[in-house]
Amino acid sequence: MNNLILEVNDVAISFGGVRAVNGATLNVHVDSVTSVIGPNGAGKTTLFNLISGAIKPDSGTILFQGMEIQNLLPHKIADRGIIRTFQGAKVIKRLSVLENLMLGGQDNPGDRLTNFFNPKARRAYESASRDRAMELLQQIGIERFANEYAGILSGGQRKLLDLARALMANPTMLLLDEPFAGVNPTLVEKLLEVLQDLRTKHHLTFLLIEHDLETVMNISDRVIVMAEGKVIADGEPSSIYENQAVIDAYLGTRKATS
Amino acid sequence: MSAIMQPGFWIFILTMSGIYGIFGLGLQVQYGVGGILNFGHVGMMALSSYTMAILVISHGVNFWIAAAAGVAVAALGGAFLGLTTLRLRGDYFSIVSIAFSEIVRYVIFNSDNITGGTQGSLAIPPLGDNYPSYTDAWDSILRHVQDFLQPIFGDIVDREFVMAIFIWATLGILLLIISRVERTSWARVLRATREDDEVPAALGKNVFRFRLQAVIIGSIIGGIAGIYWALESSLLSPEDFLTVVTFYGWMILILSGATKVKGLPLAAIFFGFLYGGTRFFTFFPFSLVDSAQRAYIRIMIIGVVLIILMMKRPQGIFGKRQEMVLE
Repeated sequence: MNNLILEVNDVAISFGGVRAVNGATLNVHVDSVTSVIGPNGAGKTTLFNLISGAIKPDSGTILFQGMEIQNLLPHKIADRGIIRTFQGAKVIKRLSVLENLMLGGQDNPGDRLTNFFNPKARRAYESASRDRAMELLQQIGIERFANEYAGILSGGQRKLLDLARALMANPTMLLLDEPFAGVNPTLVEKLLEVLQDLRTKHHLTFLLIEHDLETVMNISDRVIVMAEGKVIADGEPSSIYENQAVIDAYLGTRKATS
Repeated sequence: MSAIMQPGFWIFILTMSGIYGIFGLGLQVQYGVGGILNFGHVGMMALSSYTMAILVISHGVNFWIAAAAGVAVAALGGAFLGLTTLRLRGDYFSIVSIAFSEIVRYVIFNSDNITGGTQGSLAIPPLGDNYPSYTDAWDSILRHVQDFLQPIFGDIVDREFVMAIFIWATLGILLLIISRVERTSWARVLRATREDDEVPAALGKNVFRFRLQAVIIGSIIGGIAGIYWALESSLLSPEDFLTVVTFYGWMILILSGATKVKGLPLAAIFFGFLYGGTRFFTFFPFSLVDSAQRAYIRIMIIGVVLIILMMKRPQGIFGKRQEMVLE
């Protein structure tokens, strides 16, 4: 039995002359927390965009639960259970915080115009969805803003909202793009708590992007290090520290002097 | 100052307001909810009215079937416009939509033997020896209602009066339906797409489908306005469907506040008054210039009023200011 949920095989994409992702290969195990780290421009976010379908690779395959997804549209990939958050957190500013969350609901009968004449089904879903959303808002501690426009939230609160909205979609796998960057330490603690809780309760698989190893050290089962569009190291967090390729990528290689 | 005192004039303003109100409601669904800038809305009006007129005059089709077919063709027009351009970035849709409505108008203009060309619906080839009119069935309905209402309300009830009732009843029903539609999660997704494509897509929403549906619904409503336009003017000409008509619809939408439907009827009446009522500005200082010049001053006043309104109340009469200014 194959316990890989995501398999990225030799994926490459160029923008103009830049090979943003240059033959990256990596796997993610079911129920694991896997972190992708790397310096700026390593291709981490591009990798996320490829997995979530926002861009199509020039070559290579991406398998989710054994099926190829690299040519699917983003909403189809989301339907399969991969939900992502965005770098810097994207909220819909002119929707209320509650509406932002309810946007995450899957298979909402009210999303179909034909169900306009089926108000019963629509209302039942909406009310269940609202309850779930309020529950999540309480969990992340911003329930007092439920009916305010999301545009008034602070950066950190937006991150929480982005994460909660992804959870509303009941994902199988969560892609988190720099969930801790620019967030104050107290909030990071809170986020970590939420993530740990989810992991134990809902059997979620996490793939996250972070800038530095320190932040993800304690929560990751595996760390994948990217540099210049390639995977340069892959292993348990502790083993990454000693990896020569990683040290080179972060600190630069020493040029041989004659 | 005499005409301004006559109820007939105000009923005419009400009729025109109602038609433009319905027309503007189509834009409201597209822009107010979906953020889609459609500058070719008048094309849907042209499609429905001409389809209806041609079916009735040249093919003797029953008025109601012809009217439904007209609205259906407007919906198809919206679907065609959406399918071809909605996948592009928003600005491209806007540009192509203007081209679309102009193409529709030029095709009507040049298809003499089907549409009557420059001579309008009077030159649509009629069936047999009939006079080329498409309003017979509708006129008889109006007359029935008029005969029914006249004993109750007196002489004020004329054709125009009954017409105004029908138009405003239609606008009322459409407003009721659309305000309900706008409370569904369908509209919530659409409101999200007006800010961002990536977020709804990442949550499993097919953004293109939602946008296309919004354009088609707007086109159907525009098509209904087209049928009333045709019935009100009782003859059609390609000149009725200039791009400026689209912008009258936009004017109403901006006045009412694009994101809420409830201001629309008032905005429509306000527009109707600006458009039709300002011609009675014959008093000082307008009496200093002759009537031909006054016509231009009138349009200038409309512009100035709009600018002042936008400066003082950019969200429109009923819109929420916060929803416009949030960053």
